[in-house]
Parts: sequence; structure tokens; C-alpha cells
Amino acid sequence: MSQRTRILIAVGVLALLVAAVLVIEALRGSSVEPTLAPGAIPIYRDGKLEAGFVPDDLAALEEASFVDAEEGKTQQGWLLRDILLLYVRENKLKPDTRIVVTSSSRGKAAELTWAEVADPAHWVMFDLSGRGTLKLVSTLERLDVRDEWVQDVDKIEIDPKP
Amino acid sequence: MKERYFSTFQLILLALFAALIVVAKIALRLPLQLSGHSGVFWMAIVIVAAGVVPKVGAASLVGLTSGLIAAFLGLGDFGALNTFLSYTMVGVGTDLALLLLGRAPENLVVAALAATFGHFCKFLVKWGLGALTGAPVGFIALGLAKAIVGYLVFGALGGLLGALTLRALRRAGFFSYLAEKK
Repeated sequence: MSQRTRILIAVGVLALLVAAVLVIEALRGSSVEPTLAPGAIPIYRDGKLEAGFVPDDLAALEEASFVDAEEGKTQQGWLLRDILLLYVRENKLKPDTRIVVTSSSRGKAAELTWAEVADPAHWVMFDLSGRGTLKLVSTLERLDVRDEWVQDVDKIEIDPKP
Repeated sequence: MKERYFSTFQLILLALFAALIVVAKIALRLPLQLSGHSGVFWMAIVIVAAGVVPKVGAASLVGLTSGLIAAFLGLGDFGALNTFLSYTMVGVGTDLALLLLGRAPENLVVAALAATFGHFCKFLVKWGLGALTGAPVGFIALGLAKAIVGYLVFGALGGLLGALTLRALRRAGFFSYLAEKK
């Protein structure tokens, strides 16, 4: 075997090893589900856990606020759009993508579309309650009064399976 | 009496190279903040060792010995087993590559390739053990592709440095001196 052939074989073996590492790592990355920190709010997409966050994680986001029409109080927190885009690529969200925000302790849920969530005029956002839990508020007609808000949110689902 | 594969003189030389690797690892700190940058001097020493003792297994023996010394000295951040295996595999990988490439560590291409292979074996050990045990591995956080490139490039540079050192040693008459000592 010539030296040139030996060198080519060595380079080929090296390239194969590098490719194997990258492929295995890519497969591992796609199969490992993120773990939830205690108290974190999970975000599911198509039934699979995509990420989880605690209110402290949102400190880096720009805050938003509006005055609600019912009580005239300022609702201050973070837009749901900004939170979702922290964990989900925007190209995965179509205007008709359903987003369900749930509070299991209150037995309440709000179903929205990405078009509604993404429109800043609707102020679809989380207000941080005094207890440190998140409350979904908005100026949307079906979410603009206290009874319609979703307090103590503990789950967000994107395109949940029916 | 059957002749031993490595002479005592060669074993002493290889042990000195192994010790040199550990000393270099402790003493030389390159402020590069890049994965695998220690491969520059590490692989240079391994290639020089494989050139000075031109027998199959010389690099493996250097790797094994340096792995034992490093493990007992508590080097590395991921425990003695990780340290021992990664040091050993550097030597074994280099030996295998040199075996394939025709044992010509003074050839710049052969040395660079063998050293790259040996150094990448160290990466494989660290990555493999990290994947198996779930232990956090620094280069995963830095970016896997970047780490791989770092290991390959610094391994190759070390190999080139080793080959150039061997050439300089030959010019200086070191190999004639060694031939008399055997």
C-alpha cells in the first residue's frame, strides 16, 4: 500500500469518527427531554415538553404594562409572545397555531391563536401576582376581566392534541 | 535468553517522556481558553517519544505511564479513571495511526496526522465518558464542533512540532548517540 493511500485511509477514519460523534450528539440532543426545575411552568409543543421556565427567568425580558378596563389597575409583566419566543422558534408558530394557557389549581384555561398572542395591541401577557405566580391577562374581549383571567398558570401548550 | 522488546534504556527514555507530559501539563498554561490547546506540547512529546524509540507500542507506553502518573497526582477535573483513560488513549491512538501510516514520525504529514488521531482519541474518551455518565463536560458547553476543531488543530500542530523536533535531533546527531547507547 502506498503512503498516499495510507494517509487517505487515516484521514477517512478520522473524518468518520468526527462524523459519528456529531451524529450521535445530534441524536442525543433531539431525544433528550428538557428537565423541569421545581415550580417551573412547562411549555409543551405537540404534546412534547419543549422547555420550562420560572418567573425569575423572565427578568431579562422587556416588561409590558396596560391598565385594565374593569378595575383600572395597571397589569404589569411580560408578553406571552416574548416568553414563547425565548423557547420556540418563530417559524414554528403559524398565525392559526393554538396556544392554551392552563391553571390546573383554578380549573381555568384560555385558548388563543398565535396571531392573537403575537399582536402587541392585544397585550396578551403574564402579570406577576403577589404570591409569585403568573396570571394571564389581556385586552382581548374574552380575557379582559378578572373572571376571565387565568390565575396561577402552571402549563402552556402549543398546538395541543385534541 | 529471549531479548526484551524494549531495552531498559528505552523504557527509561519512555518513562522520562511520560513524566515530561505530566510536568508540561502542570507547568505550561496557555491562556487560550480553547478546548484541546494543551495538545500542542502534549502531542509533540508523544511524537518525539515515538521517533526516539521507533517501536510499535512506544507511544502507548508513554500514554499509559503518563496516565498512571497523572491519575495518581489527581490531574483532570473528571476523576482518575477519566484522566487515566484519556492520557492512555492519546498514546494508543498515536501508535495505531503510526502503525497505519508506516511509522515515519519525522515525516511532517505523518506526524501531524498521527498526532491529530491520538489527540482526537483523548477527545473521544472525554466525550464518551461524559455521554455515558451524564457528567458535565466543558467542551460540550463551549460547543461540540468548536471543541472538535480545537482538538484536531492543536493535535496536528503538536504533531508538526514533534516532527520538527525529531528532525532537529537527527541533525544534532542525537540518533547516532542513541544507537551507541542501546
